[in-house]
Amino acid sequence: MSAVDYTQELSVIEGKPALRELDDLISKPLETKPDKKFYIALSITLSMLALFVIGLGLTFYYGIGTWGNNTPVGWGFGIVNFVFWVGIGHAGTLISAILFLFRQKWRTGIARFAEGMTIFAVMTAAIFPLIHTGRPWLAGYLFPYPNQHSVWVNFMSPLLWDVFAVSTYFTVSLIFWYVGLIPDLATLRERTSNKIKKIIYSIFSLGWRFSNRHWQHYEMVYLILAGFATPLVLSVHTIVSFDFAVSIMPGWHTTIFPPYFVAGAVFSGFAMVQNVLIFIRKIFNYEKIITIDTLEKMNKIILVTGSMVGYAYAMEFFIAWYSGIQAEQFTFINRAFGPYAWAYWIMVSCNVLSPQLFWFKKIRRSIPVMFVIAVLVNIGMWFERFVIVVTSLSRDYLPSSWGHFTPTIVDYMILIGSFGFFFTWILLFTKALPVVSIAEVKAVVEGSQPSHHNIE
Amino acid sequence: MKEKILYGYAGIFNTADDVIKAAKKVKSNGYEKFDVHTPYPVHGMPKAMSLKPSKLGYFALIFGLTGALSALLLTYWISAYDYPLVIGGKPFFSFPAYIPVIFEVTVLSASIATVITMLFIFFKFPNNAHPLNDTDYMKKVSSDKYGIVILASDEKFEESSVEQFFKSVNASEIFPIYFDIEELNANPKILEPKFLLFLLLAGIITSGATYFTLNKLLYMVPFNWMMEQPKLNPQQKSSIFSDGFGMRMPVEGTVARNYLPYAYKNQPEEAEKYLVNPLPVNKSILELGQKKYDIYCSPCHGYYGEGDSRLRGQFPNPPSLHSEKVRTWPDGRIFHVITEGQNIMPSYSTQLTVDERWAIIHYIRALQRSLNAKETDLK
Amino acid sequence: MEDHLLNFNNSMSKDNNDEIKEKLVNGTDEFPESVKEDFDLSKLSKVSRRKFLALLSASTAFAAAACSDYRDKGEIVPYNKRPEEILPGIANYYASTCSYCSNACGILIKTREGRPIKIDGNPDHPINKGKICAKGQASILNLYDPERLQEPLKNNKKVNWELIDKDIINVLKNSIKNNKKVAIITNTVISPTAKKVLEEFKTKYNNTIIISYDLFNDNQRRNAWFKCYGTFEYPSIKWNEAEVILSLDSDFLGNEGNFIENTIKFTSKREVIKSLNYNRLYAAESRMTITGMMADYRLRISPHRQFEFVMSLINELIKYGSAINLDKAAIQKFQNYSLDNFNIHKEKLNHLINDLNNNRGKSIVYAGDTLPEDVHIAVNLLNEILGNNKLYDYSTSFKKQYENSKQEEIFQLIDLMNRGDVDVVIHFDSNPVFHFPKDFGYEEAIKKVGTVISLTESQNETSALSNYILPINNQLESWGDAYARNGIYSLMQPVISPIFNTRQKEAVLLSWIYENEIYDDKIYHNYLMKNFEAEIYNKLKLAVDIKTFWYSALHDGVVLINEENKFPQFKTESINFIKNEISTSDYVVHLTQNYFIGDGKFSNNGWLQELPHPVTKVTWDNYAAISKNTASKFNLEMNDLVEVEVDNRKLILPVFIQPGMNDDTIHIELGYGRKVVGEVGKDVGFNAVKLMSKNFTGSPYIYTNAKIKKSNGKHILVTTQEHHSLDDKFVKDFHRIRKIIQEGTIVKYQKEPHFLHKEKHDLFSITREHKFSGVKWAMAIDLNKCTACNACVASCNVENNIPVVGRDQVERSREMQWIRIDRYYSGTEEEPIVSNQPMLCQHCDNAPCENVCPVSATNHSPDGLNQMVYNRCVGTRYCSNNCPYKVRRFNFYNFRDHFANAYYENELTSLVNNPEVTVRSRGVMEKCTFCIQRIMEARSNAIRDGRELKGSDVITACQQACPSNAIIFGDMNDPNSEISKLRKHNLSYHVLEELNIKPNVTYIAKLRNIHSEEIE
Repeated sequence: MSAVDYTQELSVIEGKPALRELDDLISKPLETKPDKKFYIALSITLSMLALFVIGLGLTFYYGIGTWGNNTPVGWGFGIVNFVFWVGIGHAGTLISAILFLFRQKWRTGIARFAEGMTIFAVMTAAIFPLIHTGRPWLAGYLFPYPNQHSVWVNFMSPLLWDVFAVSTYFTVSLIFWYVGLIPDLATLRERTSNKIKKIIYSIFSLGWRFSNRHWQHYEMVYLILAGFATPLVLSVHTIVSFDFAVSIMPGWHTTIFPPYFVAGAVFSGFAMVQNVLIFIRKIFNYEKIITIDTLEKMNKIILVTGSMVGYAYAMEFFIAWYSGIQAEQFTFINRAFGPYAWAYWIMVSCNVLSPQLFWFKKIRRSIPVMFVIAVLVNIGMWFERFVIVVTSLSRDYLPSSWGHFTPTIVDYMILIGSFGFFFTWILLFTKALPVVSIAEVKAVVEGSQPSHHNIE
Repeated sequence: MKEKILYGYAGIFNTADDVIKAAKKVKSNGYEKFDVHTPYPVHGMPKAMSLKPSKLGYFALIFGLTGALSALLLTYWISAYDYPLVIGGKPFFSFPAYIPVIFEVTVLSASIATVITMLFIFFKFPNNAHPLNDTDYMKKVSSDKYGIVILASDEKFEESSVEQFFKSVNASEIFPIYFDIEELNANPKILEPKFLLFLLLAGIITSGATYFTLNKLLYMVPFNWMMEQPKLNPQQKSSIFSDGFGMRMPVEGTVARNYLPYAYKNQPEEAEKYLVNPLPVNKSILELGQKKYDIYCSPCHGYYGEGDSRLRGQFPNPPSLHSEKVRTWPDGRIFHVITEGQNIMPSYSTQLTVDERWAIIHYIRALQRSLNAKETDLK
Repeated sequence: MEDHLLNFNNSMSKDNNDEIKEKLVNGTDEFPESVKEDFDLSKLSKVSRRKFLALLSASTAFAAAACSDYRDKGEIVPYNKRPEEILPGIANYYASTCSYCSNACGILIKTREGRPIKIDGNPDHPINKGKICAKGQASILNLYDPERLQEPLKNNKKVNWELIDKDIINVLKNSIKNNKKVAIITNTVISPTAKKVLEEFKTKYNNTIIISYDLFNDNQRRNAWFKCYGTFEYPSIKWNEAEVILSLDSDFLGNEGNFIENTIKFTSKREVIKSLNYNRLYAAESRMTITGMMADYRLRISPHRQFEFVMSLINELIKYGSAINLDKAAIQKFQNYSLDNFNIHKEKLNHLINDLNNNRGKSIVYAGDTLPEDVHIAVNLLNEILGNNKLYDYSTSFKKQYENSKQEEIFQLIDLMNRGDVDVVIHFDSNPVFHFPKDFGYEEAIKKVGTVISLTESQNETSALSNYILPINNQLESWGDAYARNGIYSLMQPVISPIFNTRQKEAVLLSWIYENEIYDDKIYHNYLMKNFEAEIYNKLKLAVDIKTFWYSALHDGVVLINEENKFPQFKTESINFIKNEISTSDYVVHLTQNYFIGDGKFSNNGWLQELPHPVTKVTWDNYAAISKNTASKFNLEMNDLVEVEVDNRKLILPVFIQPGMNDDTIHIELGYGRKVVGEVGKDVGFNAVKLMSKNFTGSPYIYTNAKIKKSNGKHILVTTQEHHSLDDKFVKDFHRIRKIIQEGTIVKYQKEPHFLHKEKHDLFSITREHKFSGVKWAMAIDLNKCTACNACVASCNVENNIPVVGRDQVERSREMQWIRIDRYYSGTEEEPIVSNQPMLCQHCDNAPCENVCPVSATNHSPDGLNQMVYNRCVGTRYCSNNCPYKVRRFNFYNFRDHFANAYYENELTSLVNNPEVTVRSRGVMEKCTFCIQRIMEARSNAIRDGRELKGSDVITACQQACPSNAIIFGDMNDPNSEISKLRKHNLSYHVLEELNIKPNVTYIAKLRNIHSEEIE
């Protein structure tokens, strides 16, 4: 790998900070007591989390009846939220794995944080398939283990693929994240004076000692993991899209779904990462590490994926018309002009129109504007899933069985609560672990690498 | 004071360039057991230390293939061999539909196994007892310095020459590193009362929790296994009825379909007069008759109706069915006896259906004929 | 490699310290590629691992110990002495008679271990031929109604029967002493023995007045018949011989007369499968009825103009001659009536005239029960003119033990009551306070009566005002008989002894007649037998002895008595009864019978309340049905509350905009709005009796000069099917475009029998499909015959333990019925064409639901069933999403617990559940199983008898209930079976065939018997 020449590239870290400064800067949040702002933020997220717990509790106790779901619309907010959060979870691995393979050095500043978000988002998402079942205590049936019915799982069901995909995705992301953390934990171990912290860091750094005999294997494994994670991240949302594409419902039964879903996932994922990073870099003043250039690069990706999604919307319509199947055609007309038209137009304006502003460099580099747009994108992406799930189901083949979905209070509690769950983890993360990869950043600081002739 | 045991000599360098130069020299000076420590992977270092490229890639490959293969076998065995089910009219083994699962398992097993191999087999982690840990050497190299350690166990190792060498490659600091004796002799014992107590507590808590979960919690609302069914199966009790019997007696005087009540209760003569055997005499009927006779009648009346029963002696002896009386009885009368019972013979109405009773009567007639046949039979 | 082996060797010679050193060095020596063979265990912290293992094993040991406890599965309670006819686990059947309405259908009650669990028609009954209506099917729930009265009450205090008997006998005696009256108020009496009891009561207490009434009655028809033919006993109609039928505001297929009998006969002439034998039905009505939905031509005429319409028809048809000769005076009567005054499509009218004229003697004109006497007389005349009296069947004419009392008699009684001349009123299982129009003043009157007695199964408006409330047996606990139809005497036997401390209503009277100290629960049983011997047996002069005959009569449930049939002649002078008047009105209120809750006696029956209205699909409510034009005139929308007013009698209720309504008609169904009733029926719907009055013109059900006023507020009517207005282009005629409903006309079918399959796309699968050897179950539904009567739905509910979900859940469209009847409108708001289609699980060979279930909880059985494994189901609802027919039902709650605070979750109601069918918990998906429990029963019987299982061995619950035999079930692999032939029939099609999911329910396309080749 030493063949690749980094030194030619312009630095991704502003200025030329000494390595120790970086240590101090990055580990500062971990060594200082949390301030008032932190506690305020935490109390907000915790109270949202409380809503989550209550909502889930009611659902668990009384059943799905507490939601708005009904017979044509078997899936409501539950699955919408699931797909939404899995989508969010895609940015992390994408940044850390795919950009790593593409040697995008600007990723180093944000990779660790994005990976963290991936894990928390997937955790949030994973709750929904569980709770949305009628009898959550039987979720074990979804795994192929020998049981008293001596029936096995059905490997043909997209839902089962989901089980495998999501759990794999979670595990691999976790490993990837942890492997990345080991050297930093070792650094912290050496820095800290606090006894307990020392013990904890020692345990989790496994006794890492920066040996280059280790670094060599370490980098190899990191490469391999990146290699695995890349197809994995693509597969996960592909499989999630299969939940719909494999069915025979008009509006679901669409071959364009896999690429369209993956694009959408990256789209929303980046928007979410960007949103949160804007705060992180301000609060922990990481402006030098998470540079405005990095944010701009992310906005470019948002623009690209946004346009892809827009293309997909258009294509869906075209294919529906082209198929000549009346049911198919009606489903799409119904989306745009039926009882749920409002949801559809929210989706289009947020996902297709708003990102187009990123064509202008000024906007790409203006923090407040990009923040607003990213928020819109997330709203839009939630509605995309809503449109796909609810409108398609509410009016399917037999007009006699058409119905209307109206969410209940519990639905909203769980929706809001899921954000509480997610952001609580984020907050704890920022105070417990280095949100920027120390070792990686050091490796890209100007002059941190030996000059050219020495490598030869 | 205890004698210190030397682990090796360390040199600290300030820039990546220095350390990489030094590393090359170490090798060229013929030192084998040495290591370079840097806060981040320094490019070109493996080359400088002339390390062979990592073989972990091959491990990953093997693990991946194993995962894929086992997933394939599992899906096949389950869906086509162990419990084949017709699902949506698809073939039992629909490979294309299994690809996603196989893929995921491949990735999962490969990544987990590779990382484990690296950490626990290659690096022999966790290993916090290493002499380099908790040294200010480690403090430096973990942050912004670069270090090289030459181990005491190296053949060419000699304190003076190594020190010399480090000077020559202008290391900023040079110092020896010793083993930590306490750590070596530390040897915690297993049977400390504290631990035993903890063991006990843990045991009680787990068992208590398990018991509660398996026998109480799982049968509270909302958990539902559809075991208690709000319906009444045969032979269940029901508190609705004062006597607690879930199974009720039919109301007296009612007539169920195909169960016309016996019209000649305590009226043998009428039975004799009105009842005629509706069944034809043929093989199957006689066989049925014999079967039922052997089950219900033979214990007392004997297999051939001679009253020589297996239960002889335990009751007043049952009469022979070949007696004049019984032979001259019309079928109706015998039917009446079977249905109502006679003397100590109980009613067989609940054991024998109407047809079975008539079949038995045919069979009895056959038995009777067998003993005192008419001329017509002999022909 | 060697070198460090080497130094390991020489390490032996070194001194202790060095030795340790060596080990350590080697131990921590690093040669990354290789796993070192001499690497040192002591370096790994062994102790902690041991601790861990110890901990692990300890806890697992404890855990294992904790699991070794099993739950008590309850005790086994066998019979002490098993009755001859009962085998535990095997069902018994008892023939009996349904006493809920005066049709007295023969029923066959299925019992398990001596407990009734299902009611079906008695196949041996010549009238209803093994079929009964939805009400009859679901009525079993009344037996297990948690709010049945369990103890006799005196002034709402529990007392024992003995005391009550003593009291009342005294009161009765005193009433004679101080010559006051005793009144017995009963519904129509059809039981001869009950009549005998009443008569005996009358002789014993000679101051007794007996009043019999019914909220819904055929008195108009009976009186008309009396005037025309001199007898009240009007004949039944030979629908099966009528080529052309004109129904005048009559729902003879829905809820008038014996509609089951009518349906059986009528649909037998809607035959397309074997031969083409098809009648033509004209419905002239103002509201949309089941009959109207079946009609080939539907004419909108408001009820108060029916008279004019008939007269004009006569006027028209008399020109072509008449079967009876009428004098000038008579003919004069029709002169000034003309069809031109009706704005009905001329073409339609011409078709009607011609068809009636060309089918003289083979057609029938039939007027509805709610129409005034005059109309009936006119109709009788018209039929005579057309010589249609050939279709009158006097051999089974309609009998009553008492003619319903005239209004005058009722008023007299009420006067007496008001004057305080009545001491005792006995409500003989009747509820006049709810049924009598308010201006009768009955409610006030009984307050002046000393002793008010109510014999009733459960509290009602009348019992609430009574001093004595005496609980009586349900019909399944009662003896009895019925003589509702000429020549057909049917018996009623109990299938379970009274569950509570109740008595048979006739027995109560008897014990008052005989004043016997100790009550004998066989009293009525014996009385019945005696009466049977006297009235039936002795008359028949049979060879068999009474006992045998009695038993066989009970066994069959019905005795045929060949009474001589009289064919009364039509009295032309009856025409003079016809008043010459043309009533005019802007708005007319039409009050009719509802479909499922009777006169309110089924209000507390959740199953019936939840049955969707056959036309509007509304559940748990009644409403004012008006036409779209009227609605827009008063700018009303669905669910708006309106105030309907008929001379100062007001009723506020929601509006339902019904396609095909006549613009000037407001149609409201009676029987709703019970106030004193159980949890389920309380305040369901709106009591339209408030609009009725003692002074009406012609018919008590039709009130002219009504007013509507928009009232503020809404009342959401919950339906099981979304209502799409017909002029909404966005969703119009989807059922035709998507080939869900495929129809044709007789003309077209005769021209080209294959018209349905002209453009046929051949479908192929990319996978090799499974072959089903042996029996493979399939169903066919003949849409020509289905009248949407809902009997199948009710039957399925009872058979398969379907829960009641309640109004709020139906609103969220979570109803649980496994089979539903879809209703589609095409055409215009004014002249809609209605198509009905029973929809249930199609048991597709390539079922889309199966592919997506992650846990294989739904999969395919070897005999072609799409089966549902409840215990395996985790409830992802994915199957339901992926079902194109949306026939899967999900238990969003534990509905038994969720409905009305666990109203039906009690030990009594759970007795109604079929022991052979799992009661599903919350979170479980369910759907039609093709009655797999019946299939398994048939299979085990076949195995026991050592024969092959045949398709004909199994009859599904819906098939068994269907009065028109529209449902055919069987083995499609058997080439001679009816079903396998039907699947190849020219008119057979599958819904959503193009999805290639290979449904196993075949539909026989409906043909419309109209004069043109295309439908609109």
